[in-house]
Amino acid sequence: MISAFGAVLFVFILVTALAAAVLRDILAVIIISGAYSLGMALFYAFLLAPDVAMTEAAIGAGVTTLLLLLTVTRTVRQDHNRAIERPNVPALLVCGGFLIVLLMTVAEFPVVGDPAIAWDNPAITQYYIDNAYKDTGVKNAVTAVLAGYRGFDTFGEAMVVFLAGMAALLVLKRGVFTNE
Amino acid sequence: MSAVTPFIADVFLGAAALFMVLAIALTYRAIKGPTTQDRVLAVNVLGTNTVVVLALLAAALGETSLLDIALIYALLNFLMAVAISKFTVERGGVL
Repeated sequence: MISAFGAVLFVFILVTALAAAVLRDILAVIIISGAYSLGMALFYAFLLAPDVAMTEAAIGAGVTTLLLLLTVTRTVRQDHNRAIERPNVPALLVCGGFLIVLLMTVAEFPVVGDPAIAWDNPAITQYYIDNAYKDTGVKNAVTAVLAGYRGFDTFGEAMVVFLAGMAALLVLKRGVFTNE
Repeated sequence: MSAVTPFIADVFLGAAALFMVLAIALTYRAIKGPTTQDRVLAVNVLGTNTVVVLALLAAALGETSLLDIALIYALLNFLMAVAISKFTVERGGVL
């Protein structure tokens, strides 16, 4: 029964994601993104990741819709004479290529529940506990991993958050609603 | 939470799968429209649907923490309907 539920859930997520991608009316896309977020929260719950599902629930049901609507009020809502957006061929090609590259990594994934998974290996955990202070000079091991061992990753994340904040401020500062 | 018998768990999961079929039917209304109100109503019912499915999953898998997510959805489900209603009435007022 659990696979039947998973299959229907997959179909639901796929349908909402495709609809959000191809529909032309921005308001409809915002509403359907809400439906997509519901599906993703269910998916995280289905995979027994309640913390991620909880974040998706709080962000998807509350914040995202409001932010997107605010953006629409401060920018332009495009005409919707056509119901379906014409696909952008170069963008489609880039996304397709990226999808293929990502799918190639799927074969390398460890099996779910595999005892030899790297993160479940006590030896690796012990390595960080033993060497974190010596390597990075940071006393907290978690901070050492975040800011030291994967420092470039964290730097990239901080940059993305910074750029997103700047873009949001720029959009909100315009303050004029043009309905064209 | 006490774990239910495998048969009852299967019944719960089957019910959850049926609710997801209902969700796909609702998605048709959300995509087809034709008006914004239709879409908002469809997604609102989808939210309620999700609360039920989460509760069924929590019972079937014995995961109490899923009930917290169901509660969050029950609390926040109205936000989108309110925001979009204000947006369509006032042309620009969201909050």
